[in-house]
Amino acid sequence: MEWKDVIPVLVGGLVILVVALVVKPALLGEPIGFGSRGTVPIGSPPVYVPPTPVPTPTPFPDDVEVSTRNFRWTAIDGGVQTTQVTVPEALFREHRETPRFSDYTSWGRYALADADRPVLVDLARRIAPPSASPDEGYFRLMNLVFFVQQIPYDMDDNATSYIEGVLPRHAMYKKDGVEYPKYPVETLVDGRGDCEDASILMAGLLDALGYDTVLLRYSDHMALGIRMNEFNPYYAKYTPRYFTHEGQHYYFIEGTDFYWSNVSVGSTSIRGRPFPIGDTGGTGIPSVRSETPEIVPLRYIPTPGEYRIQPARLPGGGA
Amino acid sequence: MDTPEPSGLKIPKLPDLKFPKLAVDRRKAFTAAGAAVAAIAVLLVGGMLAMSYNEAQQVAAFESHVAASEADLFLVYDKTSAHMRTPTNDLSVAECDAHMREFAAIARYGGDVTAYHRQIVAADAVPEAYAGAQSAYVRALDNLNRAFSLWLSASGAYDVRDYRAADRNIGEADSAWRAYAAAIADYDRELRAAEEGTEVPPA
Repeated sequence: MEWKDVIPVLVGGLVILVVALVVKPALLGEPIGFGSRGTVPIGSPPVYVPPTPVPTPTPFPDDVEVSTRNFRWTAIDGGVQTTQVTVPEALFREHRETPRFSDYTSWGRYALADADRPVLVDLARRIAPPSASPDEGYFRLMNLVFFVQQIPYDMDDNATSYIEGVLPRHAMYKKDGVEYPKYPVETLVDGRGDCEDASILMAGLLDALGYDTVLLRYSDHMALGIRMNEFNPYYAKYTPRYFTHEGQHYYFIEGTDFYWSNVSVGSTSIRGRPFPIGDTGGTGIPSVRSETPEIVPLRYIPTPGEYRIQPARLPGGGA
Repeated sequence: MDTPEPSGLKIPKLPDLKFPKLAVDRRKAFTAAGAAVAAIAVLLVGGMLAMSYNEAQQVAAFESHVAASEADLFLVYDKTSAHMRTPTNDLSVAECDAHMREFAAIARYGGDVTAYHRQIVAADAVPEAYAGAQSAYVRALDNLNRAFSLWLSASGAYDVRDYRAADRNIGEADSAWRAYAAAIADYDRELRAAEEGTEVPPA
């Protein structure tokens, strides 16, 4: 055998290696080299698809058919006021035809209902007109609170609680009675409501004035919590009660009643003053005195606590 | 029974057979042996070189896939962090709903990105030393995919005003996210061990 015979052997070996490890995988689309696997169908990387915008609902015209109610109420300075509330009939009817959320954790949506907002903003400004004096802030707030506290209380299962004289078709029948949380304008048109109706209306009015509020849910009652940095007036004969939510203090406000007494013996006229902020003792409701309520924010947005991407080091010394 | 013999052909008897005499040329024998050794050496060296080249190629492919995955995940993070920075204190109901629709869109985007890269990285052929790192990275993507899926469920629960279910989903998503972070830590340990040729340190 000569050296010239060896060269084809070497070349043959190389050709076999190249064909097996490079040409064949390249032709079949497999990774080059040993142990190639089946191919993975790889399309384009996914892209972000923004949500489809929802058209803004047309506001209800208030120059067509409207429901009107006059509220005669006493301001905290003792002056008797008459406030007329006008609600588009179509808005009221639409609310009456809207099914209710059985879970109270979503009742804050009623207080913030966009369609009710113009009515609430207008009413809040008339009851508590804007003032340049910061000292008047408390009086404006208390006038709003007192206005709502004076709306007559009526239970959901009483037909008298509804202007039509019958229970709405979306009233929810539960084992301990009827539940029908009203939109703010429903309470205004009906002119009456129960504890959650008053709380929802008060929350909507205070939100329209820029106050941060929550609903306070007791086992048999609902009230309002208003966020205040510190509330401890020197004249208060009680310790103002507050509840902490996300590091903020929300002070208790009752929505359905106020301190009242007859003007004189035998008189049907009454005089009164509002249940003050933070006073849980005056309501006479045992659960309010003894329980810690569940806090129901008006705006609910589920927010993850974890969302950060951990940078992973690249193999092979990549950056 | 005798087997008939084909005509004209005579089979020799065994004792008549003789081994042919080979004239051994020592030089030619050495050349042949040398050629054989050379051929085997070429195959061995070539094979080792090809194997080494192949492993480097596999690591490079794995690296590029992890890099692409990381780049896309940070695009998702950009969207998420911008969304989380949006103040929600004074939103109207319609704005809250729009905020949640965007949250759902980000969850879908994150889910698609993690599923896409998981498929690619899991299909990578990697050297044995990198198998642990690959497995940990795939596990990280699986956990992230689950977290995004739970975000989407939370958004669905919000749409039907089942806020308790939405809270539950968000809580589970946070757990899945922590499992993702743990898997990335595992991946980092496995990768370091693969590159340094050491045992994987305990978590």
